[in-house]
Amino acid sequence: MHNNQTFADIFRASGISRRDFLKFCSLTSVYLGLSPSMVPKIVQAMETKPRTPVIWLHGLECTCCSESFIRSSHPTIEDIIFNMISLDYDDVLSAAAGHQLEDVRRKIMQDYKGKYILAVEGNASTKDDGVYCMVGGDSFLNTLKETAADAAAIIAWGACASYGCVQNADPNPTGAAPVSEIIKDKPIVNVPGCPPISEVMTGVVAHFHTFGTLPELDRMGRPKAFYNTRIHDKCYRRAFYDAGMFVRSFDDEATRKGWCLYKMGCKGPTTYNSCSKIQWNGGVSFPIGSGHPCIGCSEPNFWDKGPFYERLAEVSFLGTDSNADRIGVIAVGAAAAGAAAHAAVTAVKKAKAGKDSEDKA
Amino acid sequence: MGRIIEEIYVWRLPVRVYHWVNAICTVMLLLTGMYIAAPVINPPLGEAVWYNGMSWWRYLHFATAFVFIANFLFRMYWALFGDDRYARFGGFQPWSPSWWGKPFREQVESYLFLRRDEPNYVGHNPVAALAHFIFIFCGSTFMILSGLAMYGENNPGGFSESMFGWMIPLFGGSYALHFAHHLLAWIFPIYLIMHLYAVFRHDVVDRTSVTSSIITGYKHKVEEEPN
Repeated sequence: MHNNQTFADIFRASGISRRDFLKFCSLTSVYLGLSPSMVPKIVQAMETKPRTPVIWLHGLECTCCSESFIRSSHPTIEDIIFNMISLDYDDVLSAAAGHQLEDVRRKIMQDYKGKYILAVEGNASTKDDGVYCMVGGDSFLNTLKETAADAAAIIAWGACASYGCVQNADPNPTGAAPVSEIIKDKPIVNVPGCPPISEVMTGVVAHFHTFGTLPELDRMGRPKAFYNTRIHDKCYRRAFYDAGMFVRSFDDEATRKGWCLYKMGCKGPTTYNSCSKIQWNGGVSFPIGSGHPCIGCSEPNFWDKGPFYERLAEVSFLGTDSNADRIGVIAVGAAAAGAAAHAAVTAVKKAKAGKDSEDKA
Repeated sequence: MGRIIEEIYVWRLPVRVYHWVNAICTVMLLLTGMYIAAPVINPPLGEAVWYNGMSWWRYLHFATAFVFIANFLFRMYWALFGDDRYARFGGFQPWSPSWWGKPFREQVESYLFLRRDEPNYVGHNPVAALAHFIFIFCGSTFMILSGLAMYGENNPGGFSESMFGWMIPLFGGSYALHFAHHLLAWIFPIYLIMHLYAVFRHDVVDRTSVTSSIITGYKHKVEEEPN
């Protein structure tokens, strides 16, 4: 296969005539609502524009993002890797290995300088020169910096690459840092989740391929199309929340009836993701749909905001069993005790002062 | 008990109205907020469409919050532009070292029983002014900004989200902001205890009728007791 294969090349190789290719371009212009004068432009783009080259790196991670990615149903993974992107380097999926594969990465970086997409799964250890994550004989920190230097844009897959996930949970022994803390000079799309929903992942790739630009991002660098709303706001159990009908333990009647999991520590009200809209595995279900509270895996530092089954986080530096309410009660108690002590001292002083003046008289 | 020798009109009507609206709103917000964090009422039997247990508490919280915000903004207007020498920001200058000087030190010493006499102020004493700045001004500002940011969460692109949504990444996510809002809500009961204690104590020690002044507006100067 040629490196710079265009759509026209692929069509020709698949035995599609030029006549059919032009028909396809005309139809595409109709689908996109463009005027007939645009057809030559589409033909030109199809004949000259190569598929988007993608380098997919794996750092400190569990490969759950890849597992999710290959299960996409709209668009399917075949559609993505055969028709939209040219997945030129992925050390998990590639048939090649070792020096051959690393050479491919360097070649792509040269041939498509400033044009390829860098997809990063996992994050890099930054402590001790990154020795806690070595890939292909070099630290992942170096590989990431080297590959990012000539990338057009970076997609940070999953909670690891976006925010850090379990690797940089307290106390973060390896100094794991998300991509945005290591690479500062490139546009980065954060696609958080542990893993992200497969359709969200393929949707981001499809957007870049179709429009040639990154999707619109929100304040946290996430694509607005998928991370604009909270799980809570689109949850099918929201009616039970508003009614005040809550599950109170996992074996009660309310659980069987599918009431709201808010009191079981559901993080849906503070989690931005598409789980309650797109759902998982081609729309089969999602955690809340299967009766488990959301753990907020697409939110920053979700590991440190546990426990998963309680609404209010522990304040870890004050020891377990300390949450905001406990701190508040203790502080209010201290204020009350302080006021009482102060009142007592005032009374004693006043009595003493009164006695003094009586003595003088 | 000494004879009343002077009546001073300290708290003008706008200040008194602000005070009581603020007091009622704060207590309401605390109660409804704590309920939202931990809804304790048992779920009723039947269908979800029949009830609005949780949404009613949230509605109360939001409605009260908007009254609280309006009241706070009014007080800010009064503090900046009101023709009211005891309610203006004018005297409160914590950025200037001289403000922390003798009057502040004397008041602190008095509270710590390090001096016998009680300095007396017609308006707020410097320690009270500092406490109000920290608890009421800074505390309310934070609760309002974080509250509006969270209020806007269910309508991305709307007014609240566009104007105050920057609070969410600032605190590192929605959950962290909820947590901060919940934790800092506790400063209000702490303030309430200290405030009530200080007011009652001053009433007993200085006998300036500071407690009733927030209803009538008048403080009294009383004759020194013969020593």
